[in-house]
Amino acid sequence: MMTQLTKRHPNKFLKDEYNELVKNHLEWNIRILESGSKPHSIVNGKEVIMLCSNNYLNLSNHPRLAKAAIDAAQKYGAGSGSVRAIAGTMKIHMDVEQRLAKFKRTESALVYQTGFAANSGLIPQLVGEGDVVISDELNHGSIIDGVRLTKADRAIYKHRDVSDLEKVLMDADKKYRRILIITDGVFSMDGDIAPMDKIVKLANEFGAMTYVDDAHGEGVIGEDGRGIGAHFHIEGKIDVEMGTFSKAYGVVGGLIAGSQDLVNFAYNKSRTWLLSGSHPPAVSGAQLAAIDVLETEPEHVRRLWENTNYFKKELNSLGFNTGGSETPITPVIVGDSGKAKELSNKLYDEGVFALPIVFPMVARDKARIRTIMNAGLTQKDLDFALSKFEKLGRQLSII
Amino acid sequence: MSIKIGFLVNPIAGMGGRVGLKGTDGVVDEAVKLGAHPVAWQKAEEMLRAFFTLDQNQQQVLWITCAGDMGDAELEAVGITQKQIVYSPRGNTTSANDTKNACTRFLAQNLDLLVFCGGDGTARDIFTIVDKKIPLLGIPAGVKMHSGLFGVTTNATAKMLHAFINKQLTVGDVEIMDLDEELYRKGEWKIRLYGIAKGIIEPTYIQVGKSCFESVSDDEVKDELAEHIKDELEKHPDWMFLFCTGGTIDHIATKLHIEHTLLGIDAIYQKKLLAKDVNEEQILQLLKKYPQAKILLSPIGAQGFILGRGNLQLSPSVIKKIGLENIIVVATPSKLIHTPILRVDTGDAQLDRRFAKQGYLMVVIGYRLSRVMKLQTNSF
Repeated sequence: MMTQLTKRHPNKFLKDEYNELVKNHLEWNIRILESGSKPHSIVNGKEVIMLCSNNYLNLSNHPRLAKAAIDAAQKYGAGSGSVRAIAGTMKIHMDVEQRLAKFKRTESALVYQTGFAANSGLIPQLVGEGDVVISDELNHGSIIDGVRLTKADRAIYKHRDVSDLEKVLMDADKKYRRILIITDGVFSMDGDIAPMDKIVKLANEFGAMTYVDDAHGEGVIGEDGRGIGAHFHIEGKIDVEMGTFSKAYGVVGGLIAGSQDLVNFAYNKSRTWLLSGSHPPAVSGAQLAAIDVLETEPEHVRRLWENTNYFKKELNSLGFNTGGSETPITPVIVGDSGKAKELSNKLYDEGVFALPIVFPMVARDKARIRTIMNAGLTQKDLDFALSKFEKLGRQLSII
Repeated sequence: MSIKIGFLVNPIAGMGGRVGLKGTDGVVDEAVKLGAHPVAWQKAEEMLRAFFTLDQNQQQVLWITCAGDMGDAELEAVGITQKQIVYSPRGNTTSANDTKNACTRFLAQNLDLLVFCGGDGTARDIFTIVDKKIPLLGIPAGVKMHSGLFGVTTNATAKMLHAFINKQLTVGDVEIMDLDEELYRKGEWKIRLYGIAKGIIEPTYIQVGKSCFESVSDDEVKDELAEHIKDELEKHPDWMFLFCTGGTIDHIATKLHIEHTLLGIDAIYQKKLLAKDVNEEQILQLLKKYPQAKILLSPIGAQGFILGRGNLQLSPSVIKKIGLENIIVVATPSKLIHTPILRVDTGDAQLDRRFAKQGYLMVVIGYRLSRVMKLQTNSF
């Protein structure tokens, strides 16, 4: 019989592992918003200029979205009652998908519960044993998790390096049945864009599938924010354009756009889609309204870019290094991790909310403050934020 | 005082190189006659100065060292007072024995790291005594520096030391390489692997959350590589596998419960040892019986050689028989950080040309995970 001494403790690890995280300053300190996610938000009781939400277009506060959510809840109720496959597909869910395909200029589209559910549900179905996934080295964590669920081999190519990708393809061509090239559209740490036109061209040469996670490109790049396909004028040519309603669209949910074959395959095979409850009608109502707003009110995307260009230009003229960003994600590279954290804390004290990104998320000497622009910020807001960056940048000898 | 660092200078290291000798061991007098001057002290001081410009908390380090120009003089010259001398050489000129005797003393000191200044010969002498008991970091000052223990420059060594003290680098396996003296006496200049020491390495990180990373130990990454190789062995039950030298391959073999020679090449068939420490002739014989074969390799040493250093049994005719496509290269991501290019030097121009034409190699860096690495040959 087992003695008391060797008996296992059922859950002591919970406390131990949490304490270990705290000891190494790796735990998440959750900040609480006491307002909506607005250009001026109340965070932990303090009013700050929001420079780290993904609500690029400020659509989460758009009256048309809020009204559509209320209307849909009143019409269809609070919940959907089931998973999509059984009894949880309402007409409003189908409406969103039809409108989305039209907006994305693809044959069809499918909405997932979240972006994470799209990646982790679909990727493992697209490839299996005897196949290979070829992935940009800086791809987002949810892609990496999706890839981990497959039995396919994995190969990595250098960040945005098409010639490196070609070498991997040449090697893979001989060895594998299916080849899936997968990349972020807009990379969330540096704000640079995958050369999707060149990737698609190369993929065609080798008969490889292409899959782009355009979470940070949807609503931001391409005509009226149609995303990376529109940005490179290759709509419908990317096998899977995956995106999200949770960022610029201002709501929540994941999406894929592509051929009808893709959609038929995806909803029959993605376990995340089949086994989670469908979106509440209010969510679908707001998603529909978000597409409406993008189609009829181009000023939001325009303002986002005006703000971005102004903020980037001013940061550069102050002497800050903003890296190779091509999008509203503007990193302010300060170098040392400690300095980045200090700058972020001081910015918060001064009323500007922007988070530090430190090693190992980025290289040791490339620690930064990552700013994400918002279309709802005024020039006065931006000048206020810039003045704080200037003051603290000098104080910390960054500029 | 939170960290104890051993500091050892081989005062004669590097003297032979300046006057065209292949090392300095046993030829100091000859080197001096040829006009050589000691250079190691200068390299050691350069590293220390560079380290102090980086390190704000130098009061945290206690330096454990040897008298005179074996360490104390260099520490003194840059103004370090927090030091303790544990060994004094007897004579006026120091020898390999002094290095070894000093290391015996260091072993009793519970050091966090031993920083030494010298070359491959010094690294080997130290390794003979400390084995894997103390992590080592080399300031490059010798004639030959093929071991992976050395920083690329004195400055790079200072940065590594700084990062190690600040817990940004971790301890892992590093190869000790040196000239094969037996072959050298026969007139051949070949580098071989002498053993696996503990050195300081870049940790591997895995993303566990959107912006949250965990570092994984070197052994965990090697466990993943072992899983990958296990699949390969199972996928090819009728193939012979040649397990080559190096710490990574050794870890894989141990994990798969396959008996393995650390410093030699073993032939494996159906997960069992077929022949141990085989030479070229034996491999060619085995290939007659087992014509389908794969070579399992890992880059060793500081320069990223996969062929031509430390595995001469894999002669051009062996490689040609097995085929370039049947070479599996494995490496931990932390190793590749400091090995941007893989090198091949088979000694056969035609074979080197075939590698050069390929220009790259896929390297397995995790379970079913690989990446492209640039390949360079000596001649092309």
